[in-house]
Amino acid sequence: MSPSRWFDAATRSGVDFVAGVPCSYLAPFFAACQELPPTAFLRATREDHAVAACAGAWLGGRTPLAVMQNSGLGYCLEALASLHLLYGLPLPMLVSDRGTPSDFEEHRFLGQRTRALLDLFAIPWLDGVRGQEDQAMDWLLTTAARGSRPAVVLVGPEERG
Amino acid sequence: MNRGDAIRLVMAYLSADDIVVAADGAISRETYAALDRPRTFYMLGSMGQVGAIALGLAMTRLERVVALDGDGNFLMGASGALMIGGVRPANLFHVVLDNGTYATTGGQPTVAAGMDLAVVAAGLGYRWARRCLSDPHAPGAVAQWLAAPGPALLALAINEPDEEPAGRIPMTPEAMARRFRAALEEP
Repeated sequence: MSPSRWFDAATRSGVDFVAGVPCSYLAPFFAACQELPPTAFLRATREDHAVAACAGAWLGGRTPLAVMQNSGLGYCLEALASLHLLYGLPLPMLVSDRGTPSDFEEHRFLGQRTRALLDLFAIPWLDGVRGQEDQAMDWLLTTAARGSRPAVVLVGPEERG
Repeated sequence: MNRGDAIRLVMAYLSADDIVVAADGAISRETYAALDRPRTFYMLGSMGQVGAIALGLAMTRLERVVALDGDGNFLMGASGALMIGGVRPANLFHVVLDNGTYATTGGQPTVAAGMDLAVVAAGLGYRWARRCLSDPHAPGAVAQWLAAPGPALLALAINEPDEEPAGRIPMTPEAMARRFRAALEEP
């Protein structure tokens, strides 16, 4: 057991490559990633590079997971559109859901449009529920693999970890 | 040396096991025209992600991974090259075909035409980085680059006009990805 329920759920479900940019909601997750082998965890400089590296890892035979704050989704759109969605590459994504009414104002504009943005790009998403991380991660990997596309689990303030 | 010459030169030095990621645009199309092989991934879009895709492969695979990049693409994805310098995968070999322009879109000059990208790569943490400006030295430079400790970057100057444009690759993107992944799954 690691300090992160999301990390434990990810490793249990078969994830063996993580690339991402940290969010404070997922600080325990990123702390747990320090225990991964150096070839299984990429500290990405930007979220678009994280998803592109995940494409490389999947093509190389791994089961990748991209992890980021929802503010990074904007950077990812071109890579998602002309890499994962174009070639049909599975991409499970764990994305923090910033921008709830109690959150800082800098998170609100994109935060309030996260689900609409994912719908617009035909990316299936699921709201994470505390205590049901294993089910959410199974849904995420299955949806991405079966659809050969990105899929997202959103981690809100009550589900952080 | 034009871009097609440079691509054919690099491909001639590769072995059958090498994994190639070819940058979107003219580089992918000319790489396909030069030598189609299942272990080459042809990018069609996602400009700037050549290094990041190659890094994901290099972290995952034991074989040599060759990133066949252009200077405009490299500039857009310089923060991806920075990750390569940070992770330092020994099996990653990056070549930048440097013509100082965005050739695929009509030859518009980049902001960094003339910049020594080997100096940039050395600063980012690549273990080996060289720039080759003269055609007679290019074959030797390619041989040295592939024998160097990785990650290694070779900036190859492209100073002659492009050939007739190569046609689009006659495969669907899904077929390209599935063929590439299947080739890597073979023992």
